[in-house]
Amino acid sequence: MTKYKVKISNRGNTEYEVDDKRPILDELRKHGVDLPYGCKYGGCITCAAKLTAGNIDQRRQVALNNWQLDNGYVILCVARARSDITLEIGTESHDKLYRNPFLEPLKSYQLKADIASKEDT
Amino acid sequence: MNNLCCGPGYASPADAINAPSEKLLYTIAIYTGTGIQKPDYLATVDVDPDSHTYSQVIHRLEMPGIGDELHHMGWNACSSCHDDNSMSRKYLILPGVRSNNLHIVDTATDPKAPKLYKVIEGAEIKSKVDLSGPHTVHCLGSEIIISFLGDAKGEAPGGYLHLDKDFNIIGRWENSMGDIKFGYDFWYQPRHNIMVSSEWAAPNTFMPGFDLEEVGHLKYGRELHFWDFEKRKPIESFYLGEDGLVPLEVKFHHNPDSTHGFCGAALSTNVIHWWKDNDEKWQWEKVIDIENEMHPEWPIPLPGVMSAILVSMDDKYLYLNNWLHGDMRQYDITDPHKPVLTGQVFLGGLLGKAPKVNGVEVAGGPQMFQLSLDGKRLYVTTSLFSTWDNQFYPEIREKGGVMIQIDCDPVNGGMKVNPNFMVNFGQEPNGPSRCHEARYPGGDCTSDIWL
Repeated sequence: MTKYKVKISNRGNTEYEVDDKRPILDELRKHGVDLPYGCKYGGCITCAAKLTAGNIDQRRQVALNNWQLDNGYVILCVARARSDITLEIGTESHDKLYRNPFLEPLKSYQLKADIASKEDT
Repeated sequence: MNNLCCGPGYASPADAINAPSEKLLYTIAIYTGTGIQKPDYLATVDVDPDSHTYSQVIHRLEMPGIGDELHHMGWNACSSCHDDNSMSRKYLILPGVRSNNLHIVDTATDPKAPKLYKVIEGAEIKSKVDLSGPHTVHCLGSEIIISFLGDAKGEAPGGYLHLDKDFNIIGRWENSMGDIKFGYDFWYQPRHNIMVSSEWAAPNTFMPGFDLEEVGHLKYGRELHFWDFEKRKPIESFYLGEDGLVPLEVKFHHNPDSTHGFCGAALSTNVIHWWKDNDEKWQWEKVIDIENEMHPEWPIPLPGVMSAILVSMDDKYLYLNNWLHGDMRQYDITDPHKPVLTGQVFLGGLLGKAPKVNGVEVAGGPQMFQLSLDGKRLYVTTSLFSTWDNQFYPEIREKGGVMIQIDCDPVNGGMKVNPNFMVNFGQEPNGPSRCHEARYPGGDCTSDIWL
C-alpha cells in the first residue's frame, strides 16, 4: 500500500494522506472532508473536482468528456492518487465543468472518449 | 359520488374532477449539484387560499443522505385500486436518480408533515435486479413498477423494478426489453392491454449534463415502444426520427376506453400523438411542432425543449412547456389529431420575455407542472435536472427554483398567472434549493389510471 498527500487548495491548503488503492472521495470523507457525491460509480459528475498538480488514475470514470478532462476535472468517487496531488473541490471548482451546448458546441475530439475523433488529441 | 367501495382514488375521471380542491401539495426540492451540502427534501406547500400560510412551504422532510437528486415521485396506490378497500393512497415513493435509493414516505398519518416510512437502499436494488437511475413510478392494482434508465453501472436500457404493496422487491417486472435501447417514462391503458414507453438516454449520458453532439451519435433516444402489458414485453416500436428526438413524457387519455395518447419529444419540441385505428393497428403522427427560436447572441437556433406534457382529467386540454424558450402552453385536444393553441404564458426562459414573475426574478424556465383535478390550477416549477440547470441557467445556484400557479379556464381555454401565488425556493432556510415535480394527497392528473 502506498500513501500520497492530497492538498486542497481552496480549503486553506489543508493536506490529507490517502491510500492509493482507495477512491479519493472515500479517503477524504474518512478524514471528515465534506464533499458532494452522487452515484459512486463514476457516472454522474456530482463529485467532480479540479486537479491542479500531480497524477491520478480515473480509468473507471464515464462521466467526463475530453473537454472536461482537458480542463483538469477528476471524478473523485473512482479516481485513485498516483502521486501527491493538489485539488480544488466543491462547486467553486466547477467553473469549466458546465457549458451551454448551444453557445459553445464541442469539437469532435472534445466529446466523450467512446465517440471522440482522434484528430488533434 | 357513489362510493360503494372505499379503496383509493375515484370511480371515474368524472368523479375525480368533482373531488374537493387540493389544500396541500408536495414537491421535491434538491440541493444535489447546488454546492449546498444538505439532503434533498420533500416540501409541503400550502395551496389553500383561505389559509394564513397560503403559498408557503409549511414542512420539510429531509432525506437521510445527501446526493440523491430526487426527481419524479409516485403513489403506492391510485384509482386503479378503487374497488380494493384493503388499499389506500398513503405512501409517496421518492426515487433518488443519482443515489438509486427509493424513499417511501407516509403522507397519510399527518398530511402536512409527511414522515419517512422506509428506504429501499440503492445498493440492494443494484445487487438484486441490476438497475440504476430510477424515474417513473406507477402502481398497477396493489403493486408498483418503476422504470430505471440503466443497469447497475449506468448503461442503457435498464428495465423495470417490481415491488409488492409492502415495498418488497419482487424482481424485474418485464419479461423482455426486446430491442429497446433506452428507457424513461411509461403509461399503461389496461382495457387495451397496452403500455407505451419512451426514451431519454443512459444515466451515464444524461447525468453529467447535455452534450448536443451526443444526440447525433445516437446516445439519446428517438423511439416509442408499445408493450403487451400482460405478457410484459414490447410488441412494436415506432422510430420517430428527427420529429421525435428525445421522446420523454408519455400520457394516455384518462378515459380508460380511449386508445389516444401523447408524447413530448423534448429536443425536437414536438408532440407525438398515437392511437389504434379501425384495423386494430397502432398509428402515430406529429400534431404539434414548436419552431426553434433565434437567440440574439447565439450561433445555434434554440429549441423549446419540451421536457413535460400533461393531459387534463377531462382529456380536453394538453399542457406543455418550452423550458428554454420560457413558455407554458395550453392546447385544446378535443380533436386529438388537430390540437388548437388556446393559452400561453411566459415564465423566465432564455429569450428574456418574462424575467420576473410576481416580482421575483425567475432562474430557469417552466419545467414540471401539475394540474388540479378540476383543471383550473396549474402549478409550475422551473428546475429540470441539477447538471442541466447548471449548463443552461447557472444563475439558479444563487436564485433557486420557484413554484408559480397559473389559472386555467377549463371551459373556454386560456391561462394567466395567479398574482397571489409564488413559492420562492431561493429563500429556503438552508439556502437556494430547486423544486421539481408536485403531487396532491388526493391524487393528480399524472398518476391515476382506471382499470
